Amino acid sequence: MKIKTYFFLGLFFVSSLLMAQEKRISGVVKGEDGLPLMGVNIFIENTNKGTQTDFDGNYTIMASPQDVLVYSFVGFKNIKRTVGQETTINVELISDTTLEEVVVVGFGKQSKRKVTDNIASVSSSDINQIPIASMQGALTGKAAGVQITQINGKVEGGVKMRIRGVSSISSSQEPLYVIDGMPLINDDESVSEAPINPLISLNPNDIESIQILKDASSAAIYGARGTNGVVLITTKQGKSGKTRVSLNTSTGWSEATNKVKWLNAEQYVELFTEASANSYGAEDTWLTEAGGYFDWMSNGKDWRTGEVDTNWQDYALVKGSVQDHNFSISGGNEKTLSFISGGYNNTEGIVRGNSLDRYSFRGNLDHKISDKFRVGLNTGLSKTKISRIGTDNSFSTPLQAIAQSPLTPAYLDDGITPNNETSIYYNFLMEEFNGNWDVNIFRVLLNSYLEYQLLPELSFKTEFGYDNNNQTEEYFAGSLTQSASTNGYADANAIQSDKYNISNYFTYIQTFNEDYDFEFVGGMSFEESSRKRQYVAGTGFPSDDLQTVESASEITAGTSSRTKYNFLSYFGRATFSIMDKYLIKGSLRYDGSSRFGAANRYGVFPAASVGWIISEEDFIKDSETISLLKLRGSYGVTGNAGIGNFASLGLFGGTAYNQKSGLSPVQLGNPDLKWEKTNQIDIGLDFGILNNRISGEVDYYVKKTNDLLLNEPIPGTSGYTSITRNVGSLVNKGFEFVLNTDNFSSENLTWKTSLNLSTLENEVTDLPSGDIVAGRNIVREGETISSFYLVEYAGVDPANGNALFYKNTLNTDGSLDKTTTSNYNEAQRIISGSPYPTLMAGLTNTLSFYNFDFSFTLQGEWGSSLYNEGGKFQSGNARYEDNQTVDQLDRWQNPGDITNVPQARMYSTNGQQASTRYLEKSDFIRLRNLSFGYTFPRDLTQKFSVDRLRLYFTGINLLTFTDYSGYDPESSYDNLGNSNIEKGITFYSSPPAKTFTIGLNIDL
Amino acid sequence: MKKSNYISIIMSLLTISFMACDDNLNIEPEQNLSPEVATESPANVKKILNNIYAVARDNSSYGGGIALASELIGNAGGISWNGTYVQPAEYNEKAILSDNSFVEGIWINAYDISNEANIVLSSLSVFTDTSEKDLVEGEAKFLRGLAYFDLARLYSKTYVPGSQNSQPAVPIVLTAVLNSSVIEYPSRNILEEVYSQVISDLTDAYNLLPSSNDIYATKYSAAALLARVYLEKGDYDNARAMANDVINNSGAELTATFDGAFNNEENSVEDLFAWQVTSQDASSNDFNVFWAGSEFGGRNGNPDVSIKEQHFAIYNDPNDDRALYFYVTARGTATTKWQNQFGNISFLRLAEMYLVRAESNFRKGTSIGATSLNDINLLRARANANLYNSINLTTILMERKRELAFEGFALFDAKRLGENVGSIPYSANRLVLPIPLREMDVNPNLTQNEGY
Repeated sequence: MKIKTYFFLGLFFVSSLLMAQEKRISGVVKGEDGLPLMGVNIFIENTNKGTQTDFDGNYTIMASPQDVLVYSFVGFKNIKRTVGQETTINVELISDTTLEEVVVVGFGKQSKRKVTDNIASVSSSDINQIPIASMQGALTGKAAGVQITQINGKVEGGVKMRIRGVSSISSSQEPLYVIDGMPLINDDESVSEAPINPLISLNPNDIESIQILKDASSAAIYGARGTNGVVLITTKQGKSGKTRVSLNTSTGWSEATNKVKWLNAEQYVELFTEASANSYGAEDTWLTEAGGYFDWMSNGKDWRTGEVDTNWQDYALVKGSVQDHNFSISGGNEKTLSFISGGYNNTEGIVRGNSLDRYSFRGNLDHKISDKFRVGLNTGLSKTKISRIGTDNSFSTPLQAIAQSPLTPAYLDDGITPNNETSIYYNFLMEEFNGNWDVNIFRVLLNSYLEYQLLPELSFKTEFGYDNNNQTEEYFAGSLTQSASTNGYADANAIQSDKYNISNYFTYIQTFNEDYDFEFVGGMSFEESSRKRQYVAGTGFPSDDLQTVESASEITAGTSSRTKYNFLSYFGRATFSIMDKYLIKGSLRYDGSSRFGAANRYGVFPAASVGWIISEEDFIKDSETISLLKLRGSYGVTGNAGIGNFASLGLFGGTAYNQKSGLSPVQLGNPDLKWEKTNQIDIGLDFGILNNRISGEVDYYVKKTNDLLLNEPIPGTSGYTSITRNVGSLVNKGFEFVLNTDNFSSENLTWKTSLNLSTLENEVTDLPSGDIVAGRNIVREGETISSFYLVEYAGVDPANGNALFYKNTLNTDGSLDKTTTSNYNEAQRIISGSPYPTLMAGLTNTLSFYNFDFSFTLQGEWGSSLYNEGGKFQSGNARYEDNQTVDQLDRWQNPGDITNVPQARMYSTNGQQASTRYLEKSDFIRLRNLSFGYTFPRDLTQKFSVDRLRLYFTGINLLTFTDYSGYDPESSYDNLGNSNIEKGITFYSSPPAKTFTIGLNIDL
Repeated sequence: MKKSNYISIIMSLLTISFMACDDNLNIEPEQNLSPEVATESPANVKKILNNIYAVARDNSSYGGGIALASELIGNAGGISWNGTYVQPAEYNEKAILSDNSFVEGIWINAYDISNEANIVLSSLSVFTDTSEKDLVEGEAKFLRGLAYFDLARLYSKTYVPGSQNSQPAVPIVLTAVLNSSVIEYPSRNILEEVYSQVISDLTDAYNLLPSSNDIYATKYSAAALLARVYLEKGDYDNARAMANDVINNSGAELTATFDGAFNNEENSVEDLFAWQVTSQDASSNDFNVFWAGSEFGGRNGNPDVSIKEQHFAIYNDPNDDRALYFYVTARGTATTKWQNQFGNISFLRLAEMYLVRAESNFRKGTSIGATSLNDINLLRARANANLYNSINLTTILMERKRELAFEGFALFDAKRLGENVGSIPYSANRLVLPIPLREMDVNPNLTQNEGY
């Protein structure tokens, strides 16, 4: 080896001597704008000799006359110069306008110009500056027809992404997430009913772009899982040229977007004294007498003199903080590209005791073995630690503290021990004081590929992907908590989910006669997902310092389980374009899944789309005004397989009685179970006016789902409550409108605006089994899925303060009887609203002015309502002992009073029943994010070898405009986070955070 | 290597990967059995039977839910509801809504018991050993009879002895549902039919079951339950006969002290049948959850059901152990009966049989087995209360209140005896549970009870 090296070195010297005429050539490479270009590759044609330009675009290279220098730079046309007598060669590179925007599609890429599908693209610059822990959160408001809602203000909280509405009643409503070709595990593994966002372990800073496949034609290549849309995530890759080191660090603070006004001690005493008098007579002074209930509450403090006035809300909703630090190293050469990044995120939630720490690492590598062979490996590792709090439906969750009386001191006299002695409900502060609940999530994502160019027009790619989600949740409640009777309680829950995916496919690209471009992609993929769980719980702890189950004196529960499912798929897609004007695409996917009965195991999912680039036609081609006009239409079939792994089978499961084993029927079988199929039509128009200064898209779609996978309720008299069947259909339809404008563009000032609008109309069109009512929501033929189904509140009888309800019984003529009654059981429920918005909009403005940049996104939703399930306790005219919202002071007091709040009657129901009294419109417009930055002049930072130094401020959820009177129009009940039907319900649900951060971008 | 070689290698690799996978689509569940396997052997069928006990012991039913409904709806001021759950608050207020999830839970669970019993009864052919088969059949019928008895008492107007009893009760479903093709949408049977079914099941159980059977139902569990059913029907002859049979032949005896009858982790000598609770089932003991102080595992109402001054008026001897069977918590007074989180739940106590025999003998003017006076004094002596010289129906019924307080008899006794609940007439619509709203929504053949 060594000898060889010396030999070559020797040869080199000899050759240099022989080429004595070689001389030093230097020069500057600039762009069209006259600015120097850094990292331009310059090499001598047909040799390995080359160099790059430095920061100022300068280069030097040894070359001989007649050598051809090739200047190449990404995004610019290559330029060749033959060396003559000169020693200085200055070059101006011209940007390559033929290089079109490329979008990632399933199993490949496509020029955006030729795409005939509806795909929303979001780039890294849209999301990287938003220091939000969840990837989905950063997308909110950026894409038309995509609704993204975090369930509530808990940092790990589940996120719902609804692409073009809800297409399933009982099957999954979540899109398929694919990262670098690998379908992601997206199962909530929370041990409590409150979901944990399964994608919380991804670092949004590693994302290069996100494509959201919305129509059937684009999503059908993912066949059985395409109905809810597909989210393709591409991570950042190295770029050839100078190695770039980037640092992004930000820090900030946060608080709740909103607080609600509650009664203070004086008001509480006033209202409840009156409520008791109304129920038991003023002579019964059990509340106010010495040693009475108020004295008990105030635990030795004197409520009469105002010695105690606890604002429980301020104990629950606290100031939070955010820290986000990322570095990345990106570089490479002709053969090898690499990207390495590390990130740390620390989010202290706005709800007391809730926090998140995430450490992440990514290494992406691409290597060209030869002109024909390419390999790549993308690896992502992360560890996420979350400190959790109880679900919305638990006394241990902070926000339930708002139910406590303001007369109850939060702490005992020592100021340290939470007062659990005289609180009406369990004092949540005890959980922090004497308990612990941590989750650790380890996630490994790996995607590797090997690509071989068989022929110039034919390539083969094999991809192997692996995703491992390893989650351990540990809970401890000490001897002072709700587990006092057993001297402490601890449990541990461990989940190991993993998935591997193998895809093999050929890509064939051929151009015939210059005018006919043909591309074919065809192949197969196999995917297997398995999940294991172990759980153990114990009670009786010798000390509150010993918090793991090992120290438990008794093991009270334990379980372990294993499950698996897989998909086997074949797919093919052909695209054909004629004269760059007429575009045709067809695809077919054949999917098999272990989840379905043997008879219906496979499904076929075809799709087709056509496009016509009108602006290429002669009659319009030379138009000054119109730069792009493309008409496209697509149709396709997608499926949904988001049901239980064994949904088609009748099942018995193991149980125990008296610690002896038992067998319990847990599921009724349905061997006929098959895929839920969605047919979707999309017609769209893409346009660009005035050299694309104004561009946009208009789409109309109709998405019809048949053979709904429905957990159909059946009479409990059968011994079961539901069965999964393929019955019914529903339709989503709507308009989507995107408009991008370059409002102003000059050297020192640019201003761009992007607006998206979408409408959504959802209707259940066929439901042979009849209404499905779940809680406050109903699925009914002819109505929006999950419509609210409530008794209609009619206010207060001015004569006696009774709550009134509209009867709404059917009159003989078919109309509703709008007379009122105070007897709730006489009133019928009616459809009274929808939890889904019918109109959504996002507006992003981006400005740069000299070295300043400024952008903000406004987002709005209209047409939905929220039902406050906690309303009966919180705003229930003092029926229960719970503290009340201040509006309850408007209660009816004397005959003739006109108000909406009935007479306060302690322990006696008067208007607290479920009704539209607790239903409210939740329209809002929100300043979703805002950032303001300043980039220091380059000649200044260059002195410190810094290419770019930017200081910025970012704000999230800074302003919310809404008439909604509760905590937040977007926060909902996390116990129902995984419910498909029970939507739009809130119950002690914390508002999201309003975050302010300042940060620095440093590029070296 | 030539290009064609590369291609052939890749093609063959591909062919392998394309073909390898179809068999992988057959995945069997690892935590579950198919209905065919679950019912194919005597061992498996007996495991289904064992599970029925677990279903019945569920907190929505005999783990406390039914008794809580009876005590709170039947409450005229002796107890108060301090808890945060709305469902029991509705019971206590006698303003029950048809979407009350506790009401739904009792219904769903009762029919789960019924269906699983039907599954066991339809699988009896797998048994070759007759005594084993009889045992399984007897236990399944005991549990099914029990489920329909309480369904009838809760969801229907009270049985009126000597009348037609054609008031709508609950649907009787006797077909085992193991696949979706046999799902029925039944309408309500009348009360008389339901009671006939209950008595038929329990009589079969009585005839099939042995006199001892570990902690499971025995001949005398069935007899004791029959005594309860006959008493409810006002059929005092049969009630007396069954109670007498249990007292004379079951081998059970009163525990030495009143306290000895409760909070036991093993059944006491007095238990004719008790629901088993172990440290792994604490969440299935709603007696403890709602009636005990929080230091004993009860909820934050501490206790959620607290005993008020008015209750103590029923005791006529301050030294009566039963009058002292209480403890004071931070927020009220709790009964000691359900203090042990992991204690078994006594369901059919011998003491009840003495009360049934005493009442029936007295009503019939007989003294089969013993005089009413002796039976009552037996219970009083055990509780260290002064003894009676003579008794009447009122004293017998008061004794019943003292002995069986908080065990779930309040509402049923009030209706049976025609006693109003405070100012609410015993026959009021509000004292009958509504048919659960979900059942009304899903089954068009059901009719709702009056007043809902």
